[in-house]
Amino acid sequence: MKLLRADSGSGFFLDESGAYKKIDEINKVELLRLVDLTLNEDVEFDEYDEAVIQNTAHRIIYKSISEKLSGLQERKQQFVDESQRTFHIDYEKYGGGQASTPSSDESGEIESETDTDTDAV
Amino acid sequence: MKKIDFHIHTVPTVSDSAFEFEMECFERYVNDLEIDAVAITNHDVFDVEQYREIKDRLGAVVFPGIEVTLEKGHVLIISDDANLDAFQESATLVSQEITSDTDSISVERLFEIFGDLERYLVIPHYDKKPSVSGETLNRLLPHVSAGEVDSPKKFIRNHKDTTRLVPVLFSDLRIRSGLSTFPTRQTYLDCGEITLPAVKSCLRDRSNVALSESDGNALWQIFEDGQRISTGLNILLGERSSGKTYTLNEIESRCENAKYIKQFSLVQQDETAYEKEFNASVQKNKSGFIDNYLMGFKGVLDSVMDIDLTANEKEVESYVETLLKSAELSDRQDAFSKAALFNEEMFPEVQTEELSRLIESVRHLRENVEYKEVIEKHIQLLALEKLAVELIETLWGKLLEGKKKKLVNELVSEIQQNLRLRTSAQPIEGVDLYNVAMDKKRIEVFGKIVDLLKRDEVIYEESIQGFKVEARKTAFQGAGEIREASGVSGAFLPAYQAYEKPYEYLQKLKEHDGLARADLYKLFTSIKYRILNKDGAEVSGGERSEFRLLQEIKDAQNYDILLVDEPESSFDNPFLKSDVNQILKELSTSMPVVIVTHNSTVGASVGANYLIFTKKENEGGSTVYRRYSGYPSDTELQALDGNTIPAHGVVLDSLEAGAEAYESRREGYEAIKS
Repeated sequence: MKLLRADSGSGFFLDESGAYKKIDEINKVELLRLVDLTLNEDVEFDEYDEAVIQNTAHRIIYKSISEKLSGLQERKQQFVDESQRTFHIDYEKYGGGQASTPSSDESGEIESETDTDTDAV
Repeated sequence: MKKIDFHIHTVPTVSDSAFEFEMECFERYVNDLEIDAVAITNHDVFDVEQYREIKDRLGAVVFPGIEVTLEKGHVLIISDDANLDAFQESATLVSQEITSDTDSISVERLFEIFGDLERYLVIPHYDKKPSVSGETLNRLLPHVSAGEVDSPKKFIRNHKDTTRLVPVLFSDLRIRSGLSTFPTRQTYLDCGEITLPAVKSCLRDRSNVALSESDGNALWQIFEDGQRISTGLNILLGERSSGKTYTLNEIESRCENAKYIKQFSLVQQDETAYEKEFNASVQKNKSGFIDNYLMGFKGVLDSVMDIDLTANEKEVESYVETLLKSAELSDRQDAFSKAALFNEEMFPEVQTEELSRLIESVRHLRENVEYKEVIEKHIQLLALEKLAVELIETLWGKLLEGKKKKLVNELVSEIQQNLRLRTSAQPIEGVDLYNVAMDKKRIEVFGKIVDLLKRDEVIYEESIQGFKVEARKTAFQGAGEIREASGVSGAFLPAYQAYEKPYEYLQKLKEHDGLARADLYKLFTSIKYRILNKDGAEVSGGERSEFRLLQEIKDAQNYDILLVDEPESSFDNPFLKSDVNQILKELSTSMPVVIVTHNSTVGASVGANYLIFTKKENEGGSTVYRRYSGYPSDTELQALDGNTIPAHGVVLDSLEAGAEAYESRREGYEAIKS
């Protein structure tokens, strides 16, 4: 799944409906959705290239977002693991990770990212 | 009766501070104190050569022994010559395993090393640190003959209680060169010959052990010269400069854990300084209560400590200003400022404190041992575990969400900065209006809480021996009071001027260089102590001294002996008779008490168990200091050199200024009565 596309002198991002919208239209909620996708899906981005993107406003936005998401993609496991350190010992002690039903969508995400019990998700 | 000391060190080890053993000193100790038997018990070491040398030199019976460092506590293992080889072998194994002051061995290992402990005399530290207790003691118990204690008070306590081990009091002395005084911590044993089996057999019956040779546990030897005092209440009498205070000081130097109330120590000339010191001492005793009382407020203060209303106001102003300006300059919009992210606001921080606390609470319920039964009656532990797991998963989800939002915020901020560099349009400054409004509300509630805190109210009351200690909270009455409460120097006037407005006051306190933020919670209300007398009125200077004396005497329960030097120098007779005497007498049933007095109310009415009379005498042109002692019922008091003195005369001379004066006073009183 390609989240960022660069062609015809502009930058584009994949919106919720699956269509590509101009990058200067992106807001924080859509950014958060891209972060989620980067963490949970196999995604790719067109590399930032000044030769391809001529629109200077697009350049600023596209460059920052593509760099940030690429960085996140490289360390996505670590990113998730870090948030699961708190109460980890208690979690293991009380049999966490062996349960059959994740409590929410988010914990479902967590389960899928950890190696504890992939069947459970 | 045989006098024994089975705990003596002659070799410095890793468990001791350095000392140099001296044989002559050992001989002096045994001879001066007339000891019949000793045991050599060095820490985890037995030196057989030195043992033989000591045995040859001393006039007393000498047993080989060792003080073994167990995981929990120390234990004396004492052998005899019949088992010397086996004992030496075992001691060598102990030495090999304990080579530093952090090493120890388990009880199991002790059994392995020494084999059949029945061959030995086993005496654990009992009412003495580091004591053997709990499971370790239970394992050892079948082989134990007695328990070691470290003061006459503990000896008597254990001796009286038949559920406790038979107590033995030993010196634990390091025999070193330069020892000028010797401890008088030894035990008398009622046995004919001193052999290991005889000693063991003797120790089976607690009536065979005593602190003195002929007076059971009523007396115990305090000085090397043989001077004894009662294990109950002693009155020390004598003229001025006859050596009373000297004797008291000497007793203190012989006792490791003595409470000494010195003459005049409870009265001071400077009434203001005294009052301040008195309040400080009461406050110190009650500081735990006050900290507890203010703990809730501390939490409130912490939650508003970093709120900056001025900065918030500026943020809102800046937001409104930039919003208006942006509208005004809307014609200047360009590709940069038209980007959706240009004026995007940040995601607020994700809060997880409440959820974390909730998990802590569930964990607390799940792990509590004390009330496990009650908890399990209502909630299944498995359900608690499942709840904890689900809450933790929810927390992880929230933490992850927070991390993601933080990442997006960083990204938005970076993009905004770059866009703003290129545009001439007016960016709108972001502001979290929710937080601004919450901060305002928080400060409002904080102000109400502080107002309640300042309200005049008694927050603590405790009755102590007829007095009442009262803690009262009230508003500070000036900058000086705040300074005093803070314990920090510097100007507090600016803060006090803002005292009526809690938020402003807090800002002034924060500006004060010398104040630690963690202590500011103590500076919002003044907590004052008052001691009220029996009539409910505030105590006078004299009553305050009385209160302190009673407190000091009460505190003596934590010591092994109480020494009081002339309590009458600070107090009047009714108080001495009604309160002091009664408490001293009560205290002396559980510990030795020595009182120096000239006062008949104390000396004659307290009901002493033993009298000691110090006297400076002139013999052939030289001054001789003697101590005569005996029971109050004795007609004569006796000095150690055999000299005697009539008891009646001593008492009248010391307490009533002689028989003649007493008689004339008595007649005087009769006349007034008539």
